[in-house]
Amino acid sequence: MMWDGIIIGGGLAGLVAGIRAQERGKQVLLISEGAGSLTFAAGVLDFGRMEELQAQENHPYALLGEQAVRDAFRYLIGLCPVYHGEWGRPQAVLTPLGMLRQADLVPFRLDASPLAGAREIILMAPEGLKDFFPEVVKTNLQKQFPGAAVRLQRLRVEEFTNWHRVGKPVPATVYAKFWCTRQGALTLQNLLQETALEVRSGLNPVMVIPGLSSAFCPGLAQTLDKAPWPVVEVTSFPPSPAGQGLYETLKEEFRALGGELLIGSGVGRVEIESQAVRRVIVKSRGKETAFAARAFVLATGGLFGRGITVSPTEVREAVFGLPLYVPAEWSGSAFLGEQPYARTGIAVDDRLRPRHPISRELLLTNVHVAGRMLAHWDPWLERCGGGVSLASGFLAGELL
Amino acid sequence: MEDQGKRVKGLDPARAENLDACIKCGACTAQCPVTAVYPLFPGPKSMGPDAERLRLAGVALTPDCLSYCTNCKTCEVTCPSGVRVTEMLLRAREQEKEAKTRLTGRRRNVRDYILGRAEHLGRLGTVWPALTNAVLRRKTTRRLLEKSIGLSARAPLPLYSQKFRHRDKSSPLRELLRGDGIPDPAARIVYFPGCFITYNDAATGQAVVKVLEHNGFEVIVPEFHCCGVPLTTNGHFREAVANAVHNLALLQPYLEEGIPVIASCTSCGLALKDDYPRVAAPGAERVGAQTYDFFEFLWELHNRGDLREDFQAVPVSLAYHAPCHLKAQGIGTPAVRILRLIPGVKVLELDAGCCGLSGSFGFKEEKYNLAQQIGSSLFSRVQTGMEEKKFQGVVTECGGCQIQIAHGSGAETVNPVWLLAEAYGLKGKS
Ligand SMILES: Cc1cc2nc3c(=O)[nH]c(=O)nc-3n(C[C@H](O)[C@H](O)[C@H](O)COP(=O)(O)OP(=O)(O)OC[C@H]3O[C@@H](n4cnc5c(N)ncnc54)[C@H](O)[C@@H]3O)c2cc1C
Ligand code: SF4
Ligand code: SF4
Repeated sequence: MMWDGIIIGGGLAGLVAGIRAQERGKQVLLISEGAGSLTFAAGVLDFGRMEELQAQENHPYALLGEQAVRDAFRYLIGLCPVYHGEWGRPQAVLTPLGMLRQADLVPFRLDASPLAGAREIILMAPEGLKDFFPEVVKTNLQKQFPGAAVRLQRLRVEEFTNWHRVGKPVPATVYAKFWCTRQGALTLQNLLQETALEVRSGLNPVMVIPGLSSAFCPGLAQTLDKAPWPVVEVTSFPPSPAGQGLYETLKEEFRALGGELLIGSGVGRVEIESQAVRRVIVKSRGKETAFAARAFVLATGGLFGRGITVSPTEVREAVFGLPLYVPAEWSGSAFLGEQPYARTGIAVDDRLRPRHPISRELLLTNVHVAGRMLAHWDPWLERCGGGVSLASGFLAGELL
Repeated sequence: MEDQGKRVKGLDPARAENLDACIKCGACTAQCPVTAVYPLFPGPKSMGPDAERLRLAGVALTPDCLSYCTNCKTCEVTCPSGVRVTEMLLRAREQEKEAKTRLTGRRRNVRDYILGRAEHLGRLGTVWPALTNAVLRRKTTRRLLEKSIGLSARAPLPLYSQKFRHRDKSSPLRELLRGDGIPDPAARIVYFPGCFITYNDAATGQAVVKVLEHNGFEVIVPEFHCCGVPLTTNGHFREAVANAVHNLALLQPYLEEGIPVIASCTSCGLALKDDYPRVAAPGAERVGAQTYDFFEFLWELHNRGDLREDFQAVPVSLAYHAPCHLKAQGIGTPAVRILRLIPGVKVLELDAGCCGLSGSFGFKEEKYNLAQQIGSSLFSRVQTGMEEKKFQGVVTECGGCQIQIAHGSGAETVNPVWLLAEAYGLKGKS
C-alpha cells in the first residue's frame, strides 16, 4: 500500500502537518523516533515579532508570509479551543519562578492578567512539588505586584505521603495527573472550601496554583470554575503538564482522524529515485520495515530533536543526508563555542522543499521540511519557536 | 539475554556505545509508568544510563527497586536517542541477583519462580481446566496463595482452557498440484502460539490458524517452550536463554527453508525478533528477520495483493489498545490497518498508555495496587467511551492486556483476530 503522506518526526510541526493532511482526506503515517519536544516546552506558544522577522531575508516567516502565520495561529485555537490568544497581543504568564513573561497562545488559566487587579494573592504550595520554590515565587510575586499581599498556603495531599516520607519530590506531571482524577478534583474542591473561610473577598483575591493544568482536564476545570476567586496557573520546568497536555491532545486528534502513529523507531534510511523519495525504511526490531508514500514531511526537530547530528568533523541531516545551511561563524575553529549554531538547518523554497544552501538548486521534489529543521531562524533569540513550527507544519499538511 | 560465557567484566564496547547515545534529556523517566506511581523507583534515567556509568566502572549500584521495572519498554519507545534502557536494567538485575540471591525473602522467590514459569502452571492447569479454574476462583484458595507465596488475591488470574493443539494437516491437494510431493515453502508457515494461547486461550489460537489456513497456508506448530519473557522479567535469565536455545533448535530447519514464523502474542514476537538473535545458537542469525507479528504478516500479504479480502460486513465499533511490546517492535499498528479493511468495522485507538499488568507484575501482592494505578488512565478512558457509546468493546493482541482491561474497566476485551474470523465466516467452524 502507498500512503498519501509519511511524516518523519512527531513534534509540534509533524503532528500539526499530520492533522491538517488527515483533515484534507489524506491517509497519513507519522513515524517518530521518540516523543517530541512539546513535553519539555512550557505549553505556551510564542510567535515573535512578525514584522521584524519577516523582513529578514530567508527567515521562515519571510517564506511563509504573514497571512499563513496568522492562519496557523487561528488554526491552533480551532484545534485546541482551550488555547486563548489574540494576534499581536501577547499575554502575560508566570514562569516557574514566579516572574512574568509574555506568550502569544496560552492555555486557559495560565493567563496571569487577573493578578494585575489583586490585593491579595494566595500562593498555594503543594508539598514536595518538584522544581517549585515557594519562597522564591512568593518574593517575585510580591516584587511584581506591590499592591497585593502575598500569602503562602501550604497544601498536603494524602496520596503523596509515601513520596514525602522517602523525601522524593513529586514531578509536576504526577501532581497534575492526580488533580485530573475524580478524587483529585474532589480533594481540591475541599481545599478551596477550607481556604475560602480565611479569604476576604473585598481584597480581590487571586489564587496561584502551580503543578496542574486544568485546560487539558475538563473535570478539574469545572472545579476551578466554581472557585469564588480567579485561579492562575504557573508554567513548569520540563516535563510540564501543559506541554504534555498539548502533546497528548494533538496525538489524540491525529488518531481520531484515522492517522497512524509509529513512535519508538526512527527512519534509518530512505530510497530515492530521480529526486523523489519512494520509501522510508524504519529500524524495526529484528528487521527493517519499508513504507512507501507519494510525499513526505521532514520534521525531525533539528539539533535538539536529533534530526541534525553533530560529530567533531561534521554536522549532518540524519535522514536524507541533505546539505545544511551552516552559519559561517560555526564552521570556523571554535566549533562548539558560543556561536549562532541555532540558525543551522535546511534551506527551502516557498513550498518548503529542500534546496541547496548555496546553489539554491531544488534537491527533492516530494519532501516538505517543517519546524526546527528549517534554516535561518533562532527560537531562543527571536521567541518564535511555536509560531514557526506551527505555521510550517500547517503548510506542510496543506501541501501533502 | 546473551551468551553467559562471552561476557567480560569491564568496558564492553556495545554497552559503552549504548550509554554514549544518552543525551540526559529525562524523557524516559518523564514517561515511565512506574516512576509516576511509585516514589521508591528512581526511574529509567537514573537506573539505566546514569547508574550504568558506575556499573561499567565496576561499581554495583543495585537498588532493590530494580524488580519494580515492569519491562514495559515505554522508556525505550520514548527515548529520542534510541538508547536501549531496558537492556541496561535487565542486565543490572541479573548482576543484582547473582550478588544477593541469598538475601531476598524466600516467599517471593517461590512466587517469582512460579510466575516465571507460566508454562509449568499451564501444563498442570490444562490437564483438567474446569477443576483448576474452580479451585482458582475460590476466595479461600486465593487468600491462601496470597499468604503463602504473595500472589495477590485481587489480581485477575487468567483461567485455563483446553490446551491448544494443532495437528499439522498435510495438504494432499497442494502436493498434488505441484506434482513433486514437495510442499511449496512459500505456503507453509510456523506458528509460535505462546503460553497464553497454549494454556489459557486455545480458541484464539484456533482462530489464528483458521485465518492463516483460509489464506492458503499450511500451519506448523512445533512443541515450543515458553518464549522466555516471563522468565527474564522475573529474574531467571539463564533459564530464559535455555528456552531460547530449545525453541531455536525447533525453528532452525524451517528458518533454513525460508519459512516465516508468526507470533500472535506481542511479547513472544518481540522476544523472537529482539532477544533471540543475540543468543548463541543456530538459527539466531535468521530468526529476527523471519519473525512476523500475526497482523504485520497479514498486512504484508495485503501489500502484495495476497490477502483474501472476501470479507462479510461486521457492523461494530471497537476501541483498540496497543500493547507495550507491540509498540516496542516498531511496526506501527497493523491490526488497526487490517481491521479497517473489513466493511462495517470502526476502530478507535485508545492511546492511554500501559495497562499495568505487564505480564505478571500485577499478579504480585505488593504490586497489585501499583498495577491498577498505572492502568487507571486506560480504564477510565474505556469506561467513558463505553458510557458515551463510542464503542462496544475493546480489542488488543496481548492476552495479559485483555484480562487486565476487562478486570479494570469491565469492558469485554478480545483478540482482534476474532473480527477477522467473523468477517471470513470462520467463527464456529472447526
Ligand atoms: C526545552 C524547550 C523549550 C521550549 N519552549 C518553548 C516556548 O516556551 N514557546 C515556544 O513557542 N516554543 C518553545 N519551544 C520550541 C517549540 O516547541 C518548537 O516548536 C519545537 O521545539 C520544534 O518542533 P519540531 O516539531 O520541529 O521538533 P521536535 O519537537 O523536536 O520533534 C522532532 C521529532 O522528530 C523525531 N525524530 C528525530 N529523528 C528522527 C528520525 N530519524 N526518524 C523519526 N523521527 C525522528 C524526534 O524523536 C522528535 O519526536 C521549546 C523547545 C524546547 C526544546
Ligand atoms: S521498562 Fe517500563 S517500567 Fe521499566 S523503566 Fe522502562 S518505562 Fe519504566
Ligand atoms: S530518554 Fe534516552 S536520551 Fe533521554 S535521558 Fe532517557 S535514555 Fe537518555
